[in-house]
Amino acid sequence: MKYIFVYPERCTGCRLCSLACSLTKYGECNPRKAAISVVRDEFERFEFPVVCFQCQDAPCVSACPQNAITKDEGVVTRDDDRCIGCRLCAVVCPFSAITTHGKELIHCDLCGGDPQCVKYCSTKAIEYAEETQEAMQRRKEQLARVLIIEK
Amino acid sequence: MTANQYAIVNLSKGSVKIGETSASIIRSYLGGRGTNVYYLNKLLRKDVDPLSPENVLIFGSGLLTGFLIPNASRFNVTAKSPESGFLGDTNCGGYFAPEMRYAGFDRVIILGKAKKPSYIFLQDGSVEIRDASAYWGLDTYDVQTELRKDLGDVQAAVTGEAGEKLVRFANIRNGVKNAGGRGGLGAVMGSKNLKALVAYGTRGLKVAHPEQLLELTRRVNDYVMNSKVISVMGKLGSPYLYDVSNELGAIRTKNSQLNAWSDSLNAEYFEEYAEKMVSCASCIVHCRHRNTMNGEGPEYTTIGLLGANIGISDPKQVIELNNLCNRLGLDTASAGSILAWVFELYEKGIVDRTKFHGEKLEFENFELAKSLLEKTARREGLGDVLAESSQAVQYFGPKSADYLIAVKNLPQSDPHDVRYIKAFALGIATASRGADHLRSRPTLEIFLRLPQEVKEKIYGTGISPDPTSYEGKEKTVFWSDNMYAVIDAVGICKFICHGFNSPHLIGYEQVREFLQAAVGLDFEVQELKEIGQRIIDTERILNLRFGLTRADDSLPKRYFDDPAPLKTAQGHHIDRQQFQTMLNRYYQLRGWNDQGMVTHKRITELEAIE
Repeated sequence: MKYIFVYPERCTGCRLCSLACSLTKYGECNPRKAAISVVRDEFERFEFPVVCFQCQDAPCVSACPQNAITKDEGVVTRDDDRCIGCRLCAVVCPFSAITTHGKELIHCDLCGGDPQCVKYCSTKAIEYAEETQEAMQRRKEQLARVLIIEK
Repeated sequence: MTANQYAIVNLSKGSVKIGETSASIIRSYLGGRGTNVYYLNKLLRKDVDPLSPENVLIFGSGLLTGFLIPNASRFNVTAKSPESGFLGDTNCGGYFAPEMRYAGFDRVIILGKAKKPSYIFLQDGSVEIRDASAYWGLDTYDVQTELRKDLGDVQAAVTGEAGEKLVRFANIRNGVKNAGGRGGLGAVMGSKNLKALVAYGTRGLKVAHPEQLLELTRRVNDYVMNSKVISVMGKLGSPYLYDVSNELGAIRTKNSQLNAWSDSLNAEYFEEYAEKMVSCASCIVHCRHRNTMNGEGPEYTTIGLLGANIGISDPKQVIELNNLCNRLGLDTASAGSILAWVFELYEKGIVDRTKFHGEKLEFENFELAKSLLEKTARREGLGDVLAESSQAVQYFGPKSADYLIAVKNLPQSDPHDVRYIKAFALGIATASRGADHLRSRPTLEIFLRLPQEVKEKIYGTGISPDPTSYEGKEKTVFWSDNMYAVIDAVGICKFICHGFNSPHLIGYEQVREFLQAAVGLDFEVQELKEIGQRIIDTERILNLRFGLTRADDSLPKRYFDDPAPLKTAQGHHIDRQQFQTMLNRYYQLRGWNDQGMVTHKRITELEAIE
């Protein structure tokens, strides 16, 4: 299974990933209307790309009152017809990886297996790659860091 | 199409007017630096004191800023400069300008003076003037941190203590290191009681042809990232330029008494203080060091001017001075130039020593430099004199002017000693805001092994391959001036601009494609070239209104009269006669008369644009 893996130590903060996402999905350039965000603070000295981590035990899946979110072959998928826009998924996501913009709920769908964001990253801080034991272990450690940053 | 909205904020009246920049202004000037100077020329009375409420301060984003376009993050701030008395115009990266656009504004034009410390808050189409008493007195880091605590994930263009105290080389800052560095426009903010321009935006920019832009940006990104110079910049940042210039004997050292300095300031020695390379919005170069001493940088400019020029050879000390200036909100280029100037005035006894407020001045003294920078930002003791920058000639007396490395009263930003490369000399002599490397630097002249045909393809024919020859060098400056004006107007960083660091990269053709895809404007390359000339002419008209004459398109006395003492450049200086002849040829290329005046016909033509 291929996932988006993030390498914050390589991330320069530029947000081209977010712009590529918003342009692909909405025809506009808007880092706040994208499924991938760069959490950054130059005074606190960190840059961290945040995108759906396709959690094994995804809180969004179990929280959705409409059963609109499912894990479909390892990918968290939202059924627009079932979704009533209650935003509970966005609230329960511990990584704020589901964003909202106006009425829009924005969630990474891996562009159907061809994620655009990774193509614009100049430092390979985000990569679309097969899961390996090592990559998954790295991801676990990173998630712990994200939770600290987001506090 | 994205609406090109501006706000006119009158701080005296507390009023805000919102309008839209006309299509014809955009076609004539694009945005950023170009549109800013258009508005300044329209709105400013010529005899205004730059630190009075009558000065007009304009923040304007590039026309392509904020889009999915490499390195399109930039904005210009424009006003009459309190440092030079001529055009004040400064270009800055970071994350502020995209945020301003996402908040709904391309440009904010600030008039008058607030009664009390204030900031302007732009948020999704609204503009508010708010009380900044809680932020007044904070340095440039702290004010941004506090604004984020109070307002959330905002971006701000701020001024530090130096701006509040009206230091004539106080700058405007965003993030840790991005600076609208030149011309003292931070002091213009201070004079208006304006601490910050703050933005928060969720609006996004509509794209004319999304598919086309996605494809184009991928293609251009690949092209740029495959360039050798870009991979060096991404690893070492601009400090790699120090070594190149130093080998040539072109590093300003001790107020240009010398022209080369210690290898201990080569880029590799700054590497051990680099924690990570970080970037401005949309940047694919990432030239900026996050240093291990709680700051970012230094750039090549700062290494030269707060290193070699004041006789400092320890990288750690340079970084410390860099970080200090950034916190205080001082332009490192003017800071290093002014310190070196007064050190020489004192050491040589050119000025009576009673004029130095009891300070004992000398080169190679880190603690002294540090203490003087702090005093300057706060206008204490001798710092109150240094805070006047080149205007301190009035205090030190006319003889002191002979030792000042400045053009049009602006201390030279480029650490490059221009006695060897004649095109660089013409560049700093004619740049619209004074002695500056970012307006007209014909950099390819420094690549001594670059094939002649490559140079001629860019600059035109009839240019001597010898960097010390004056022949045809006006063409290199003319070309560079125009190209950089266009790249500033669209908001793309010069580090990926054709001709700035490389004979490749983003030139008129790529700008044309980006304009078409992103904002749906069709231009011919020739039209874009004309825009570059139009921007330069408008800046010239404004400078002429401020009283500029041919005599101001000149060089520091030392570059004419004192041959460089060291290395390859040894024995080289600028010949007055040959310089004047080269200047004549430059004026002819621009269509200006022999006094450097713009013709009435051209003025009428440009003033008709609305």
